[in-house]
Amino acid sequence: MTPDCPSGNLLDVRDLCITFGDRQALKGVSVSVRHGSMVGLIGPNGCGKSTMMKCISGIHKNWTGDISIDGTDTRTLRPSEMARTVATVPAEAGQTFGMTVAEMVMLGRYPYVDTLWWEKPEDERAVLNALETFGLSALRRSRVSLLSSGERQRVLIAKAYVQKPKLMLVDEPTSHLDMRYKLEVMEYLRSMAGTGMTVMVAEHDISLMARYCDSCIIMKQGEVIATGRPAEVIDEDLVRRVYGVESRIGLDADGEVYVLPKRSVKEATL
Amino acid sequence: MRKDMEDTGGDIPLKKRRFRIVMSVGLFLCVVMFLISIAATPSGLLGVDDALRALVSAIEKGGVNLTEIESRVYIGSLPRTIAAVGVGAGLAVAGCIFQALIRNPMVDPYITGVSSGAGCAAIGVMALGATIPFLDANSMFIVPLAAILGGLAAFGITVAVAEGAGGSATNYILAGVIVGFAFTAFQTIFLSLSKDNLTDAMGWLYGSFYGIDWETTFLVLVPALGISAVSMVWAREFNLFMAGEEQAEQLGLNVRRFKRFMMVVASVLTAICVAFVGVIGFVGLVIPHACRMMLGGDHRLIMPASLVLGACLMMLSDLLAHLVFSPTELPVGAITALIGTPVFAYMLMRRGRGYDA
Repeated sequence: MTPDCPSGNLLDVRDLCITFGDRQALKGVSVSVRHGSMVGLIGPNGCGKSTMMKCISGIHKNWTGDISIDGTDTRTLRPSEMARTVATVPAEAGQTFGMTVAEMVMLGRYPYVDTLWWEKPEDERAVLNALETFGLSALRRSRVSLLSSGERQRVLIAKAYVQKPKLMLVDEPTSHLDMRYKLEVMEYLRSMAGTGMTVMVAEHDISLMARYCDSCIIMKQGEVIATGRPAEVIDEDLVRRVYGVESRIGLDADGEVYVLPKRSVKEATL
Repeated sequence: MRKDMEDTGGDIPLKKRRFRIVMSVGLFLCVVMFLISIAATPSGLLGVDDALRALVSAIEKGGVNLTEIESRVYIGSLPRTIAAVGVGAGLAVAGCIFQALIRNPMVDPYITGVSSGAGCAAIGVMALGATIPFLDANSMFIVPLAAILGGLAAFGITVAVAEGAGGSATNYILAGVIVGFAFTAFQTIFLSLSKDNLTDAMGWLYGSFYGIDWETTFLVLVPALGISAVSMVWAREFNLFMAGEEQAEQLGLNVRRFKRFMMVVASVLTAICVAFVGVIGFVGLVIPHACRMMLGGDHRLIMPASLVLGACLMMLSDLLAHLVFSPTELPVGAITALIGTPVFAYMLMRRGRGYDA
């Protein structure tokens, strides 16, 4: 995919601020994300990761600053254009009232459907293709509520995938998953980043992020405090500053970064 | 092969097939129930063929100079059957809409306080003999009009409270419940103050098609069926709500505006349904659930199915209500619940697994 904007970035966020009541959730955040990369958002609960994603995806509207995707100011996008540009994957499916897997994934085609009642064959093909890609074909008539958490997460990713977005925002996709599903989800996200989609994922497992992400953005209290390649950015001092946790960080036998949390640090010593 | 008929192996051809089956079976049931209903006149059973013949000749005569049998069908059973179609369809579709918007299985069309407001105003008018400006004190429209206004007033207060609290689904449910309590309290007070009209008032509170005539029947049928049918245009938007409000917003729907708009639509629909025949419970709660259990989560199937099944259940209930202890009329709301409970309990036990998690 050739970038339409001179910077070569898919996403440019400048001076993003948002305030809820008297709490400033984002204090002038600026980040850039390259085309087709997978970027990890790292930071403690409440640091503004989800808030930033919601500003980018247009869920929050009362922010100030600039957000442009592929060179287009997101404020100028109509809702349906926005939905074709950005897709979000929530952490959980919530109450689905007997919806089947295929029905759920089909929701992702909503921004593309212009018929009044039934979707078109091309929407069907996109859904079938996504079900195949995410290993859900055999489950397509199952109720979403009967699936395992890992399968449900795949359904949500597949739904975002059929939106064919330029940017996919994934919020804590592996928080309920066991280690096998965690890896599986990250591998799916990684493979999507390989197909020209840009993926931004917020996640607490730093080792996992370091392994799969091209770059990471470290946030604390509504500010970005570091950006760069995981191996360069993540160190023991950073983990201590951001999470208030004493840790050991090293390279395993394959040369990949791992983070081993040891103990929490008292606020005063930070 | 036409492009839109092309079978991709996806679910749409299956859904189209199901849609056709649901609609043909549903409409067939409706026609059967309709014929049985008009034959079961409040003053006794007729043969379906006699009833049809009487109906045709009554229509040919334009409703004047009717024979006894013609008037039993044309005046006795036809108007209330038509009203039952409208009310059953309307309540079922309104329930469907509210359940989708609020995403809570306990939700029924009365969740926003419409029934309590309507009941309070109607009982107020009946029990205390209150009047409405510009309307004759003996007008047959005084109770329905009071009910509609009361219902919409309660809905307005519920919306104000819920939106003031943040507008979440839980806010709406809690606001509706407390507003309902307040209006029900007034209703109870009005009931205890009433002396002569207690039977009328109780009859209204449990719902009855008794006394529905040609003047009122179309005032129920046309708006109830019309609003129900038109709201199906948004079936796909209701589907989006199944993924949560935030996802719906992200997929390009203006959730706040849509929700407000559809809440008003469904509340008006509910108010119209209760205004002339009183508060009939159960249909709006259970018919949408039954349809979801049978047909899955797609509102393009659930809403039309709810419409026809709601109409069928209401016709059947009214039939039993005036037949079982004839000439005494039973409250139709009790009958809907008595028919519906065992059927729904059976469905719940068979298909409830994974339905609501």
